[in-house]
Amino acid sequence: MPIELIVVVVLAVLGYVFGQLAERRHFASIRRREREYAELLTFSERRPPPGRWQTALVGGNVVVSVDYFKRLAAGLRALIGGRVSVYESLLERARREAILRMKEDALTRNAVMIMCVRLETASITKGKGDQISSVEVYAYGTALMR
Amino acid sequence: MSYENPQQPDGINVSKTHPLAEFFPLLTVVVVAVVGLVALLSLAAGSLARLVPFEYEQKIARVVAAELLPPGGTHTDTEGYLQGLAQRLATEMALPPGMQIHVHFEDDDTVNAYATLGGHLVIFGGLLDRLPSENALALVVAHEIAHVKLRHPIVAMGRGATVSLVLGSLFGITDSSAVRSLIEFLGVTSTLSYNREQEREADDEAARAVLGVYGHLAGTEALFELFRNMAARDLARPPEFLSTHPGTEERLARLKALAAELGVSGTVTPLPR
Repeated sequence: MPIELIVVVVLAVLGYVFGQLAERRHFASIRRREREYAELLTFSERRPPPGRWQTALVGGNVVVSVDYFKRLAAGLRALIGGRVSVYESLLERARREAILRMKEDALTRNAVMIMCVRLETASITKGKGDQISSVEVYAYGTALMR
Repeated sequence: MSYENPQQPDGINVSKTHPLAEFFPLLTVVVVAVVGLVALLSLAAGSLARLVPFEYEQKIARVVAAELLPPGGTHTDTEGYLQGLAQRLATEMALPPGMQIHVHFEDDDTVNAYATLGGHLVIFGGLLDRLPSENALALVVAHEIAHVKLRHPIVAMGRGATVSLVLGSLFGITDSSAVRSLIEFLGVTSTLSYNREQEREADDEAARAVLGVYGHLAGTEALFELFRNMAARDLARPPEFLSTHPGTEERLARLKALAAELGVSGTVTPLPR
């Protein structure tokens, strides 16, 4: 077996084992913190509820990298087409984590809710063939304080 | 107006399929498709290449021949002897008209011999030094002539060009280096078994030619014994499924089976010094 292929197999196994482990732990942490911060409401609505509010821009961002196994699976998927489910879970984690970090930012300001929540995403290594690509997800909104 | 954040059902944005349950079927489809495509196109290219007249092959081979010609003609005796041996074997093998064999001697310690485009054979000094008899040498020369007769060099060229083209086109649709290594591995391994089939054909043809010239196959098995000894010393040899030639044991067994079937024996011709 040529050395390149052995490297591919070893990296894919490592990527899978550690990637899955990290993913499982991350989802557990996300679920726990979502329950913890459930009191802090978030909305995409632009206008705040009637009343007098202090406002502040709050945000949270995450940069996640694709593991080698996910890249390989997505590379094979690219030949055939269809849902790239390995990336779906990755981006789901990034979105929820970004919102959680935004909430953490808002909680430090004793906010009661965040209005006008938006998500932005950017890929960090775009079109670079041989590089592990990473994606940034940024969540921001207007925190309302009494 | 009342505001609330209802609890969202978990996992609605993620596929339920296990990553490996998705990965392995995907891998299987890609492997089957690549192997199938390479096999189909290279088979087609191989059968077309066989139709190239030998005359054209000789024209293509001029470039190769220019490199093979001895610079100062220092080994003319050896080359003359090898050429004579090749001629006797070629006559026995009934080569089509116009198919000439040119033997080149390479004074180098490499233990090898090969046939290339245009009927050019190269025998290395290392092999010649290690062979105990003319009969064993004749088997090598006949094996290489058989490749020429069966048009294997031009078929290999046609197939090689096609496989590179297929792999190149497949490379274009992905920028993942991992997928590229996989495609390359599949392309190379899927053509190897065909090469082994060619070696078997050449072995059979060669044994018949040696039998025709000497009347027996005595002394020829020494060639495979040499390979076996070399293989025993070389720990880094590839496993059979990754090698272009069938296993030495398999080739020796075929030769012995043929010799046993014929049931003739004879005296071994020594090599001239």
